[in-house]
Amino acid sequence: MKHILLTRLLHWKKQWPSLLFWLLFPVIAAFLFAAAANEMQSEITVPVGVVVEDDTPSAHELYEKIAQAPFLRVHKTTKADALHLLEKHELDSVFIILEGYEKKIRSGSRNGLLTSYESNRSFAYTPVKEMILSFVQEETGRAKAAYTVQQLSKQSAGKEIWTMEEITESSKRIQSEESLLETDFSYAPVENQAEKNSQPLVNVWEWWAIFTVLSTLLLSDWVIKEKKARMHIRLAFSRYSFKNYLLRNAFLYTALFFIFDLIAIGLFTLFLKEHVVVPAVMSMLSFRLMIQCGGFLAAQMFTHLYRFYSASFAIASIFAIISGAILPVHPFSSRHRWLEWLHPIHSVEAWLFAAILLMWIWYVRKEKSIA
Amino acid sequence: MLSVKSISKSYGKKKILDNMTFSVQHGEILGLVGENGAGKSTLLKILATLLKPDAGQIELDQLSYQKQRAKVRKKIGFVPQDIVVWENLTVEENMLFFAKLSWKKKSVDELRQLCLDMNLEKWKEPVKTLSGGMKRKLNLAISLIHDPTLLLLDEPTVGIDLKSRKEIGAYLKKLAADQGAMIIYISHDMDEITSLCDRILCIGNDPFYKNILKKTNKEIATFH
Repeated sequence: MKHILLTRLLHWKKQWPSLLFWLLFPVIAAFLFAAAANEMQSEITVPVGVVVEDDTPSAHELYEKIAQAPFLRVHKTTKADALHLLEKHELDSVFIILEGYEKKIRSGSRNGLLTSYESNRSFAYTPVKEMILSFVQEETGRAKAAYTVQQLSKQSAGKEIWTMEEITESSKRIQSEESLLETDFSYAPVENQAEKNSQPLVNVWEWWAIFTVLSTLLLSDWVIKEKKARMHIRLAFSRYSFKNYLLRNAFLYTALFFIFDLIAIGLFTLFLKEHVVVPAVMSMLSFRLMIQCGGFLAAQMFTHLYRFYSASFAIASIFAIISGAILPVHPFSSRHRWLEWLHPIHSVEAWLFAAILLMWIWYVRKEKSIA
Repeated sequence: MLSVKSISKSYGKKKILDNMTFSVQHGEILGLVGENGAGKSTLLKILATLLKPDAGQIELDQLSYQKQRAKVRKKIGFVPQDIVVWENLTVEENMLFFAKLSWKKKSVDELRQLCLDMNLEKWKEPVKTLSGGMKRKLNLAISLIHDPTLLLLDEPTVGIDLKSRKEIGAYLKKLAADQGAMIIYISHDMDEITSLCDRILCIGNDPFYKNILKKTNKEIATFH
């Protein structure tokens, strides 16, 4: 192995700029994507002005709900200031919770609760309005339910008359406990809702994996270069068979790549606060072995470098699409589970098994050219 | 001694070599001539253990090609028609690269001396900047790293200048004389063949080569 390492170092010494670039490419590209996504995430929040004229708990509660809505950047201000900012297009739209909001809610009146303003550049006015109306609808529905319960209680001459506050609180508690308005169904254990809401727009590891597939495939071009150099003729008269020589070199590349995988873990942990545990490192090793075998076997099928490079980009693009990193494919893939199996990032174990099996077949297959 | 007995080789229905028998002694240079497609390269690949004959037996210094192929290979140096070197590496790096993969350990000084013996002096130059003649010399030098007993050369001087040809020829003669190497040499250049080789094997049915070689005083064997 020492001899193979020394011969490989002779090549790496000449190729180090491109080698280093492609080894670092997945980390750098994933970092750039994560940064760009974060930037995009902060830019796509809609600036909305909210004026609370009604100084009641219900009005403040509505404001809090609006303020907590994802993708909204809420400015609580006065009406004059809000309209001034709207004119300057610094706000997308303005919503005023009018005086008497709580009173009207309790009386079951749905008119004159809010006033809204938009400008000719308001692009998110309609969805924001719909969202706020849904909050109000929730409150009016609850108030109406409370009123109905009270009336029924009176009619049935019950011994106990509940107050509206008690009924409303009870309704909220039931809603909160039962999660009546939002329920996710899943066949596998998933993260809780809080974690789901705090998920970044881009999964940095997913992108890293896709870029790693690309860089691994591209750096597997050494197999084609060895074949083009007709090394098998020389190696017939050396201490290593051609296959043995290729396999040992593949091992060296795997080790080198894995060192950079560990560097990626370190960088992501340090800068992106990604938490990586030992099983994750083992998964990464499995993933590394799988794509190294895949790249090695793919390169065996090509004799022209440019065709191989083109195929590498095509394969990485297909994986990116299947993974949903480019387009959301979850609704489709959840109906067609075989798509998950097609994806080497999502089905590492199955692909690793297939890759090792194919490597073994390649190794034991009788070579025709060298008798 | 290389002993070839009754070997035959066919590709499909086409018979390339038919019942061929010859031998080569230590220190002898044997030339192989014949028209294109006559089977020269096939014969050389069989002698290099890269192809198996359909019939016949071959022995190199009492080692059987059929039964002791690994041992036989250690005694063979093969110079392919293509230049099999790393263009991006220097002469030194190429020699070191193949020396690391070789059965025989060679010091850097020994490797350099091997190149100097062939007048290949550009030790630190990248191969891609060398002339065709220099590349051919390197191609030959790499094949000699493990001190082979049998050296097989497939048109090793094709496309290079006369000076380099003469230098390679002189080196091969010295190698045969001093180290007792057996050399089998394919070429289409009759002047080169007649000046370099002790005996000549003419392969194929075309009388052209035989007629030319008749004018020389070389021992000629013909196989059809």
